[in-house]
Amino acid sequence: MVVASADNTTATRGGLGDERPIVERDFAENSLRRLVPHTWVLTARLMRRWRRDRAAVLESVAMPVVLLVTLHIVLDDGISQVTGHSALYGSVPLIAMVAAMSGSMVGGIGLMRERSDGFLSRLWVVPMHRASGLLSRLAADGVRIVVTTAVILCAGLVMGFRFHQGFLASVAFVFVPTVFGLAFTVIVITLALYAANTLVVEGTEVIWGMLMFFSSGFVPLDQFPRWIQPVVQHQPVSYSVEAMRGLSLGGPVLAPAVGMLLWSAGIVAVCAIPMAVGHRRASMRG
Amino acid sequence: MTVLETARPHPSTSRQWWVLTVRIITPTLRNGEVVTLIAASIMFTVGFYIPLKQMMGALANGMSSYAQYLMPLIALQAIAFASLSAAFRSATDSVLGINRRFKSMPIAPLTPPASRMSASMYRCSIALAVSLVCGHVIGFRFYGGLAHTVGFCVVVLLIGAALSFLGDLIGAATENPEATAPLMLLPQLILGFLSVGVQPVERFPSWIQPFVRNQPASQEVYALRALAGDSTPMAGPVSWSVIGPTLLWVAGFTIVLLPFHVLVASRRR
Repeated sequence: MVVASADNTTATRGGLGDERPIVERDFAENSLRRLVPHTWVLTARLMRRWRRDRAAVLESVAMPVVLLVTLHIVLDDGISQVTGHSALYGSVPLIAMVAAMSGSMVGGIGLMRERSDGFLSRLWVVPMHRASGLLSRLAADGVRIVVTTAVILCAGLVMGFRFHQGFLASVAFVFVPTVFGLAFTVIVITLALYAANTLVVEGTEVIWGMLMFFSSGFVPLDQFPRWIQPVVQHQPVSYSVEAMRGLSLGGPVLAPAVGMLLWSAGIVAVCAIPMAVGHRRASMRG
Repeated sequence: MTVLETARPHPSTSRQWWVLTVRIITPTLRNGEVVTLIAASIMFTVGFYIPLKQMMGALANGMSSYAQYLMPLIALQAIAFASLSAAFRSATDSVLGINRRFKSMPIAPLTPPASRMSASMYRCSIALAVSLVCGHVIGFRFYGGLAHTVGFCVVVLLIGAALSFLGDLIGAATENPEATAPLMLLPQLILGFLSVGVQPVERFPSWIQPFVRNQPASQEVYALRALAGDSTPMAGPVSWSVIGPTLLWVAGFTIVLLPFHVLVASRRR
């Protein structure tokens, strides 16, 4: 806000021959009217970067698809013997979650790079809505998660995954990973703003690796030893997988969806303020 | 001036190598990297063992326990995670321009990569130690005597060295830390699941069996399983026909990567 008021006075101060364009200011930089267009510009920027960085995007979509095929080859026999239906109804949702979580690292690394090469500080001296920087990262990640989920779903459909709950449920299916995926992005962004570069990457991998192995999408819940079953049952990825299983094969949707929403809301509530403070600090640092 | 000229230091390559190695190792003790490395090694042990024990345990091919069957894969996953993250490190170094800076200094051209390799070996040693401790907890034991136990560790570290070499090349060649991230955990999980480390080759569909049997991860699992031994004779004998393919894979891998490393290192910008 200090920046903005200083900016307004430049027109009167510029007596030494430096002519600067006078920008019309109908609204303050932090008004809600500015938030949407500013967030849109920055979101479009991030998505354009991804479109041009084909290697990163292809890898973050192709690798999960290959892992889905692999899990299908390795585990389908065993799981369909135990549960009586195809393992795809667990593994397609699980891999969609894995892709959502592992892909958020690309955004985290990008954020760290833009912090160190000064791009964040550059944005900070522009009359831009202060929330648009973080919101645009979340918005872009939301788009990414929907797209990767759709690709993984197509691979699953080729392999024999089918929707039994109608059209609306299948549309809802595509948006389920976005909920916890965005909460995970919030964790990654917060880590990226506070921790050392390498720790962010490896720490994130360990977190999603654990969530993947100990979820009911990897092997059915009753295959886990009894003492760990409550943990497996109530962790967020299992909730997301169960909600998606309910939307495709059939079964309860509401209970797991509520669990997933509570986890996501909790994570956002814990991380929101540290994330905002960290982003401001990273932007104001040289 | 003459004073300065006579005082010009003659840096020794070994000392430079040590300084550059310590440069990479020291921060790991402070910034939590060692902690994530230990956590990852534990993750591979519990992540494969606990969910799969009941479903796959019966398929352990006559071996005394599923832990004994699974341990080679756990060690391989831990070592692969420790070494492939070299890609992110070397990509970050390339982007920050520190490699270019080293080129302008009186440092032998091979010293920076050598120091990165030795730092990777430090990470591999931690991963191996942690996964052996975790394996002991779930019930894995060495049955082959001291020579075979040492052989197990040496083979794991050799594989770690080859993978570090690969990771370093990927990072230096792409110079894109963002693109190295998806290459770290997912590919090694894919190769790990598609190997004989989780279940015997006969359990795979017949069309993919040739790949499963002959891909490097499976050959390495066979070798490590034989070196670890078992209370039953199902682990296989320690012979050149079991250990040889692994050593050939590692050697071949390194020889193929070498010219690419030279190419990337001599690239001028």
